[in-house]
Amino acid sequence: MTDELISRERFSALVEEAGLKLTAEQFDELRQGYRFVQRMQRIVRRPRDRAAEPAHIFVHPRAEVR
Amino acid sequence: MDPTQLTIAESIRAIAAGSLSPVALTEAYLDRIAALDGELHSYVLVLRDQALKSAQTPARGVLHGIPIGLKDIYKTRGIRTTAGSRRYLDHIPDEDAETWVRLRNAGAILLGKNETHEFAIGGPDFTLPFAPARNPWNTAHYPAGSSSGSAVAVAAGLCAGAMGSDTGGSIRGPAAYCGIVGLKPTYGRVSRRGVFPLSYTLDHCGPLTRTVEDCAIMMQALAGYDPQDPASADVPVPDYRAALATRLDGLTVGVIRQFHERDAVADFGADSAPSVAYTAAFDAACRTLESLGARLVDIKLSPLVDYLDANRLIMLAEAYALHEKDFRERPQDFGHHMFARLALGAFLTAADYVEAMRQRRELAVEFARAIEGCDAVVSANSTGPAPRIDAIPTYSTFERASYTGPYNLTGSPALSVPIGFEDGLPLAFQMVGKPFDEAGVMRVGHAFEQATDFHRQRPAVAASLPGRG
Repeated sequence: MTDELISRERFSALVEEAGLKLTAEQFDELRQGYRFVQRMQRIVRRPRDRAAEPAHIFVHPRAEVR
Repeated sequence: MDPTQLTIAESIRAIAAGSLSPVALTEAYLDRIAALDGELHSYVLVLRDQALKSAQTPARGVLHGIPIGLKDIYKTRGIRTTAGSRRYLDHIPDEDAETWVRLRNAGAILLGKNETHEFAIGGPDFTLPFAPARNPWNTAHYPAGSSSGSAVAVAAGLCAGAMGSDTGGSIRGPAAYCGIVGLKPTYGRVSRRGVFPLSYTLDHCGPLTRTVEDCAIMMQALAGYDPQDPASADVPVPDYRAALATRLDGLTVGVIRQFHERDAVADFGADSAPSVAYTAAFDAACRTLESLGARLVDIKLSPLVDYLDANRLIMLAEAYALHEKDFRERPQDFGHHMFARLALGAFLTAADYVEAMRQRRELAVEFARAIEGCDAVVSANSTGPAPRIDAIPTYSTFERASYTGPYNLTGSPALSVPIGFEDGLPLAFQMVGKPFDEAGVMRVGHAFEQATDFHRQRPAVAASLPGRG
């Protein structure tokens, strides 16, 4: 399940902003691949409680370790 | 007797008994590499003289005289380490990976460096300086990646065991397609120091072996705190071999069916449907666990895509940060697949990354709660046989269902074990455990293995060389 293909104009702006120098073939291929980025963004961008912190660290207290 | 037919456990016993010398064992593996690797491409560098010299050193530890391979992202001091990339084609590190130091101190002998997808993400790529490794069960097929060479070498009998790395399944995928055992330990259990990173918070180092017992032996040398790896955990290491058992009486094993039976098609489309043979093999494997005394319980989780896309987004963001400068300034140095995949990371925002990490915590907590009453859980691995190596799409990493990434996201120990065959190619499932309970997943894996004979079936290419049988 993937999202709509981004327009050439919009994708061109993203590439320029990223500072990438792409061949025509790379541009077309990455534009196709961008649909997967859109899906990932859609999956992770959801309403959350403000207290829901990121998993920037794993804590395994010794008592819980067998 | 051909000593390369022995497992690591059997070789250790033969060496201890004096019926096999490390030199003879090393020579036998080197002869096989010379005879067979021209077609398999599992090594990018073979260290014949150095290996034979190492084989003459006195006994040092549990792996005395055992010849192994290292994925070519493991740094080896004074020995070329390319990460499978033109960018590092002449790179000679001045340090060893901590894992290699531990294996060497335990007596292991380095046969050479194994082929890898470029920086553990870009492959199979025919534009790279090294040919992609081939599946030893059928060389027209893909061995999976990114630890391709390591898995192929183990399956084909070109080393006794090997090291891989796993960010979304790069140990367990190749183990599945090659019909061997692969363990992704708990995040923090095995040092990553001196291994080229792909994604800091998702990378794991671990062994690939022919049997679970061999995996336990390698883990005994590998596991343990490394104060110089920022993610290393100071957690006691148990006796892994002592924990292996042949019965599972009294154990509760969770079964995650929804990922492959429902979510794969619902979230990723019909191309991700498990094969009929895979579903049958998975069900039969579960019945085997039950026959060994385990009580099976169904595990319900959030949809597979929630786990996978959080994993993939985090990987893309972290990997792109690592390679951004080179992607901007010297894109010509990278292979097609590596660039096409990782350049997508350029289009993510800081907020995307933070949201993915917030989702990661939610899912890690969900998973921990779901398996609270279980001693281990089983989950699908690749749900069909290996495809042809010339039929892997550029964005295969993102477009299809995968069953390994969720456990990189949660940091859980996960072991791939063979469960059958389809069209002459291996199938596998995973045993997943609680944090730092590698012993638990290996216990279940070993019991399953002893009750079946899938691990004893080997590809034709693994047979003894003429005159060596």
